[in-house]
Amino acid sequence: MKSQFAKSGRIPPHPDSRFALELRNLNVRFNGLTVLEDLSIQVESGLRVAVVGPNGAGKSTLFNVLAGLLAPASGEVHIHGHLPAEYLCLAYVPQSSHVDWNFPVSVQDVVMMGRAGQLGLLRWPGSKDAAQVKQSLDQVQLSKFARRQISELSGGQKQRMLLARALAQEANLLLLDEPLAGLDLPSQEQILSILAGLKAQGITVLFATHDLELAGDHFDRILLLNRKLIAYGAQKEVLTVENLSLAYGGHMQVVETKEGKVWLGDIGGHHDHDEEGRHG
Amino acid sequence: MGSWLLEPLAYEFMQRGLVVAVLVGVVCALVGCYIVLRGMAFLGDALSHAILPGLAVGYMASAGNPTSLFWWALGAAILSSVTISALSRDGRIKQDTAIGIVFAGMFALGIALISTMRSYAVDLSHFLFGNVLGVTSADVRLTAGVSLLVLLLIVAFYKEFLVLSFDAHLAKTLRLPARWLEILLSVLTAVAIVVSLQTVGVSLVVALLVTPAATAYLLTKKLRNMMVLAAAIAAASGIVGLYTSYYFNVASGAAIVLACTALFIAVWIAQKLRSSLRRQPVS
Repeated sequence: MKSQFAKSGRIPPHPDSRFALELRNLNVRFNGLTVLEDLSIQVESGLRVAVVGPNGAGKSTLFNVLAGLLAPASGEVHIHGHLPAEYLCLAYVPQSSHVDWNFPVSVQDVVMMGRAGQLGLLRWPGSKDAAQVKQSLDQVQLSKFARRQISELSGGQKQRMLLARALAQEANLLLLDEPLAGLDLPSQEQILSILAGLKAQGITVLFATHDLELAGDHFDRILLLNRKLIAYGAQKEVLTVENLSLAYGGHMQVVETKEGKVWLGDIGGHHDHDEEGRHG
Repeated sequence: MGSWLLEPLAYEFMQRGLVVAVLVGVVCALVGCYIVLRGMAFLGDALSHAILPGLAVGYMASAGNPTSLFWWALGAAILSSVTISALSRDGRIKQDTAIGIVFAGMFALGIALISTMRSYAVDLSHFLFGNVLGVTSADVRLTAGVSLLVLLLIVAFYKEFLVLSFDAHLAKTLRLPARWLEILLSVLTAVAIVVSLQTVGVSLVVALLVTPAATAYLLTKKLRNMMVLAAAIAAASGIVGLYTSYYFNVASGAAIVLACTALFIAVWIAQKLRSSLRRQPVS
């Protein structure tokens, strides 16, 4: 069903959907391998969803499909009722290792890039765009660093800048790929509290992570993935021994301790082809 | 002002040469900023060689009329850049591999065509090594028109090229026509190369694309400043190169490129010295 990604030249009238995201029987193949199989899910607007699963589970692939960077082999994807490649109000925050931090731009230049889609071709940013950039920087507490060269930022500041760029896109669906990787604890807390603040704006967040504890503590829903959908729901329903051993298989250990059950997944380690991620 | 500065200006060929060298330097430097930032120097070098069959066919078709050669060369460059983009599109063939295949194939075709001709040596050597002092006033007009067009497009698509160069995935999620912008940028590169042929020739044109932009990159951390500086460096190198060529009887294209290179080396060494001085402990 590649045809749904073809440029139709006009955006079809979209059904008024309460779902930020609807997938029906999604199959994605990459380099001849099935990376995602028969994935069906409905995510309501305004939820914060942690996407968890082992390396190679297809988290980055799922994000690439949602962002319209990769076409599925079959199945349907609707984002607020639109086809991915036609939906503008979506922001993909890449892993910060994918960014060239020596590029000659300042923090506000990068955040202004988020305006390019709304502006359209051949138009220069105006005062409305400048205001949007300022507001986005305020929201991630980076206003003081607006004129700073991006190479001079700390790890946490870099990630917050990418988040501000996503906010400047006026996105209502945020895809965050391992945004806390390599950050110190205070920076992690800061980003999580910024994300919590987005709930009031009705922004839906999909957050790929390896950290099951984080997923349980800070998110409304957990999407447990390993090529197929293992489970989707609240923490209690999803993080069961049965589901986790289905997702992590032999790599998963459940250890009984005084404090309760501890799950040990295959965190870090080898990287499968699809977690190399951002092809295109 | 010493009369040595004014003396060469008495000659019309020097006047024309200076105008063309400055125009071409500015155009190459601006396009070159994107080439340097995106790590595409190989594409620049490849496109400059891939125009050879265009020159050969143009020469056969029009007996060496420079305006006609210009269009044939541009056609070959655009054909090459579109072919490279098409070959590497689905990701099975990496872009630098596609560049290598197209570049070598086109260059070989050019050599094969030229080897079948009899009296090519003199006229085509101008395009291999450049001869900016031989430009006619028609060449100056053509160069000026094309340069202006490239400048306009670079200003008009500044925002889009910035996004594309910084983060190609962002360009796609912003629903910008990333593929078309990519092609436009490589066509602009092709135009910059072809317009520089008479100045520095096929074999040296990559220096005009890369060296002033790289020098500017060392000096500033803002893209706009980088573009202005690169243009200024290229223009200055064009002027210094032509005066050197006039007084020391050096090939003009080589003199211009050497001026660019000397500036780059000077800036690079100055920065190394400065950063090692800064690192020295104050005791």
